Amino acid sequence: MHRAARTAARGWSGVVGATTTRRCLKCRVPLQLSSRAYGVVPTPRDSEEKEMLAQILRVDHAGEYGANRIYAGQMAVLGRSSTGPLIQEMWDQEKKHLAKFNEILAENRVRPTALLPLWNIAGFALGASCALLGKEGAMACTVAVEESISEHYNSQIRALMEKDPERYTELLQVIKEFRDDEMEHHDTGLEHDAETVPGYWLLKNAIQLGCKAAILVSQRV
Amino acid sequence: MALLLRGLRAGRALRGLGRVVAAPTAANPQSGGLSRGFHRAALRLQDESKSDKHPSSSSSSSSSSTYHEHYQAHHAEPDPAEGPRDDSTSDPAAEEAARPNTSYQDQGGEQGEEYETEEQLQARVLTAALEFVPLHGWSMEAVAAAAETLGLSSASTGMFHNGAGDLVLHFIAQCNSQLTEILVEQHNQVQLGQAEPKKTADFLRDAVETRLRMHIPYMESWPQAMSILLLPHNIPDSLKHLSTLVDDVWYYAGDRSTDMNWYTKRAALTGIYNTTELVMLQDSSPDFQDTWSFLDNRIQDVVNMAAAAKQAQATGETVVQGLMGAAVTLKNLTGLNQRR
Repeated sequence: MHRAARTAARGWSGVVGATTTRRCLKCRVPLQLSSRAYGVVPTPRDSEEKEMLAQILRVDHAGEYGANRIYAGQMAVLGRSSTGPLIQEMWDQEKKHLAKFNEILAENRVRPTALLPLWNIAGFALGASCALLGKEGAMACTVAVEESISEHYNSQIRALMEKDPERYTELLQVIKEFRDDEMEHHDTGLEHDAETVPGYWLLKNAIQLGCKAAILVSQRV
Repeated sequence: MALLLRGLRAGRALRGLGRVVAAPTAANPQSGGLSRGFHRAALRLQDESKSDKHPSSSSSSSSSSTYHEHYQAHHAEPDPAEGPRDDSTSDPAAEEAARPNTSYQDQGGEQGEEYETEEQLQARVLTAALEFVPLHGWSMEAVAAAAETLGLSSASTGMFHNGAGDLVLHFIAQCNSQLTEILVEQHNQVQLGQAEPKKTADFLRDAVETRLRMHIPYMESWPQAMSILLLPHNIPDSLKHLSTLVDDVWYYAGDRSTDMNWYTKRAALTGIYNTTELVMLQDSSPDFQDTWSFLDNRIQDVVNMAAAAKQAQATGETVVQGLMGAAVTLKNLTGLNQRR
């Protein structure tokens, strides 16, 4: 009985050792036994694909980080008002998105954008200043940002589908799920009188212009 | 046996190539003479493929010739007896040998037995050249000497457009990949439970020491190598190698950060590595003990700085909380908080 338990334990540790060896071989080493169940992103076949994936992941990570900070800014102003819980709920979903992208970035050894401190401050400032215009201002900010992000995710989905939908199945799944969440936030914002803020058109376009610039820059820097 | 013969033939061919390349510079290169040389070479190629003991690979070796192997097959020894062969068969062969290989299937690179890409050949020559560096320094002389030991002409150094820079960059890339292999092996050992995970500071110290020890055989000429790396056209490549080195070391040290820490950690390690490398250049202590203690101190500095930064942040947060508390108290005292 004792011997059986010992041999069983050794066998189990052998199995565990084998799977962990395979997992850690998923590093940047030529002989890779990557099993797709572990990772969302497939191992790049050449440096071109690696660069493309890195850019996609970097800008998505930056986007979620920025969105996180925007909601933080909104909460700082409107946290104790009646819209507090609504903003908190949307913020929690963004936190989940950010956590997922942190995980993906670490796993695939992708460099995060160097402009993160800038997005930190800019996002917070944007969220806070829009929230100072009241609840409608915050909602308008949400609508503008979420529309930009959804558009951006859609173009990424299109690009990946054009390249090879089979290969990027898991990544596409993740991006689609996040895109749906962002669309939901967008609709929530519209429901809560985003359009009634004075200067809605100007505000929305200014924010969307800023978002487009941020996306362009975060891909490479 | 067949492989040995083919190798010898290839060696002879390449030496012949040297003569072909050298001859036109000495004598007047006339297009007629060169085309005759090609013609004869094509005949030779046809001859080789006919007398090949492996019929299956002969067609592939003739049709999958790259530009490089095309030259390999050339015998430039003047052979007037072979001149007047039947032209009908030689012309297609000449055409076939001269046309660049655009066939989709034959560009696999592993078809023929002695097939080797140009990159592989360059790598082989540069690796061999490292042996001659203590003698000739980081220069094309070392590469030329190595080329000759491999059976190539010393003129084949012409394929290295960056000169000594190619040699140094190749050495650096080789050292970096050796280090990565060692780090992966250590990582595997830890994963399998056969080794204890090291603390970050120790890991970094061991990794940098291992990497710098690879310079010891070339220590006398290393200042020359470093100055070559500082040439403007080499700087992008050397920075790229340095950044991949530092990224690899931090990855295997366990860094999975996705914020500014990613940058600060790598910048710190780059600084440590570069300064330690410089110290090593003028270190004359036994087994570079001074360098390793310098390395220890620098890593300790970085660790202390990180701890101090964390401390400062914690203090800052506490101070802010204190200020907020004071502000709220003041508001209460002055009655601003009361709803009227």
